[in-house]
Parts: sequence; structure tokens; C-alpha cells
Amino acid sequence: MIIQVILIGGLLLSLLYGIIQRQKSRLLSNAISLVSVLGMFFVAFPERTTELAHFVGVGRGADLILYCWLVISIIVSMHLHLQILQLHEFITELARELALLAPRRSHGD
Amino acid sequence: MIPAFNENDAIGDVVIELRRLYRNIIVVDDRSSDDTGATAFRAGATVLRHPINLGQGAALQTGIRYALSRGAEYIVTFDADGQHRADDIRVLIETQVKTGADVVLGSRFLGHAKDIPWLRRMVLRLAVLFTRLGSGVKLTDAHNGLRLLSRGAAERIRIRQNRMAHASEIIDQISALRLTAAEAPVTIVYTDYSLRKGQRLGNAVNILADLFIARLKK
Repeated sequence: MIIQVILIGGLLLSLLYGIIQRQKSRLLSNAISLVSVLGMFFVAFPERTTELAHFVGVGRGADLILYCWLVISIIVSMHLHLQILQLHEFITELARELALLAPRRSHGD
Repeated sequence: MIPAFNENDAIGDVVIELRRLYRNIIVVDDRSSDDTGATAFRAGATVLRHPINLGQGAALQTGIRYALSRGAEYIVTFDADGQHRADDIRVLIETQVKTGADVVLGSRFLGHAKDIPWLRRMVLRLAVLFTRLGSGVKLTDAHNGLRLLSRGAAERIRIRQNRMAHASEIIDQISALRLTAAEAPVTIVYTDYSLRKGQRLGNAVNILADLFIARLKK
């Protein structure tokens, strides 16, 4: 099916991205690679996905993937949020240093 | 030390009143879009200006860093909107001398809160309860901008909450760093201006969200 080719192509790119990230973060690289490989498996063998879905108590394989995707999205969003907060801390420190460099001193200070 | 954002209407009088009693007044202008910084400087304050708006917590930390670099032994934080009285600083100092506490926090509930709206009173009481549960520090007023830090405390406390959650963060750090704290009765004057400029009650939700995220990061 065409959709399987497209999805597997996309997941292969995702796997490649995961491998490239290995130098930056081994944990992130492993997570992306695992999700990509699992995704390819689910796309290639949808009947196995349905079996797995029944095993864990979900009606359809597609629903199982949707739920998994939801959980992954939440984790990724929180990770991004924490990264933004860290960036904000850097910006704060930078702005503070600039302010401290140029005080307008009153008489007597 | 006064963190200020768009307080041009009040900051001049606040600085002049403080200058009557104290020499070193620092205003941290948090990138106001009005003339807050210039007005404060004309009134006699040393002014530091953030290049971008960061929030009151960030402005406090900047002011503390500057005061420490100038050799301050005690740092008093003071709101820019005119709700505090300069005379109350003496009460903070007397309390510090009497108790030897690392930090002295102003309390409107030990002192006088003039014309405090009932809803605000209720939210502040809830904030006290929340702070007590979170940090274990027993206070009567958790969100009062008038406080005195000894040099030792100012060197150890690090405000990372840029926005309004810094008040709770300071109390958390007092507990975590095992600093001693005392409260002193102070007067808060609620005027139309200070109520308009002060925290909106909806901010309580933002503060809780900031504190929750900070816990996640630990």
C-alpha cells in the first residue's frame, strides 16, 4: 500500500535523525530510534499491532498507536518546555549582566 | 532596593521619601516603556535597567547582586507603587537587631493593612497556608514586598523565579538554606493606584503554575 511506503519512508528519516543525534544525547537518540523502529514494525505488520492492542485491552491497533502517540507528544512538549525555561534562564543572566555593567549612579552611591 | 516596571507615576515620590531617611536607594527598571528609570534617577536613586522585561523576581535578583557588589550589609526590598511606608524600614531593622534573624519579612497582618479588599485578604491567607505547607515556614504574610535581607542571606538566596512566584521561592529557600526568619509589623496602604498596579488575583494561578514547574525541574 502507498501509505505504508510513505510512513516507512518518514520513519526511516526519523531513524536517521535519531542516529545522528547520538553524539548530542545518547538517551534522546535511543528513544527516537526505538520509536522509529517500533513505528515501522506497526506500519509493516498492522495485524500484529491489532493483536498487541487486544493483548493490552485496546480495541484496534490504530487506537493503540494513537494513544502511544499522545503520551509521546506530552513527554516531548514537557521536554521542550523545560528547554525553553533553561533558555530563559540564560537570557535572564545575560540581561542581568548588561544591567550591572551600566548603572546610573546617584550622588552618594 | 526597588524593582520597578512602568511606575513613573509613583516612583519619584517613593524614592524621595526613602532618600529622606536612607542614602543608598537602588531602583531596578525592568525595561519600563515609560520614564520610570529617569524619574527614579532624578529623585536620587541609583538606577539599573534591564535591556528586556524579565519580571519582578529577576529585577530583585539584579538589585541584590548590585547591592552586594557595593558592599551592602543589609538589603531592604521595597515596592515601587507606594504601598509601603519608608518609616517601616526602621521596624525591620529593629526586629533584625533584636532577633538576629537572617531575613526579616514585613507582615501586613501583624501591622496594619488599610482598606484591604476582602477577596485579596482571602487569597493572601490562602497563600500563607500554601507556603506553610510547602516550606514549613510559619508566617502570617507570605507575599509582602517589604523585607530585609542580611548580607549573608542575600549572598545565599538565589531568586530564579523571574515573575511573581519569587515571594514563595524566597521563603522556600529560607527553609532549604536553614536561614532564620522573623516577621515585623508593617503597614500596607491600599490606594486605587497600588490596587491597579499590584498583582491581579488571577496571578495566583500563574504563581502556582510557576512553582509547580520549578518543582519538576528539581
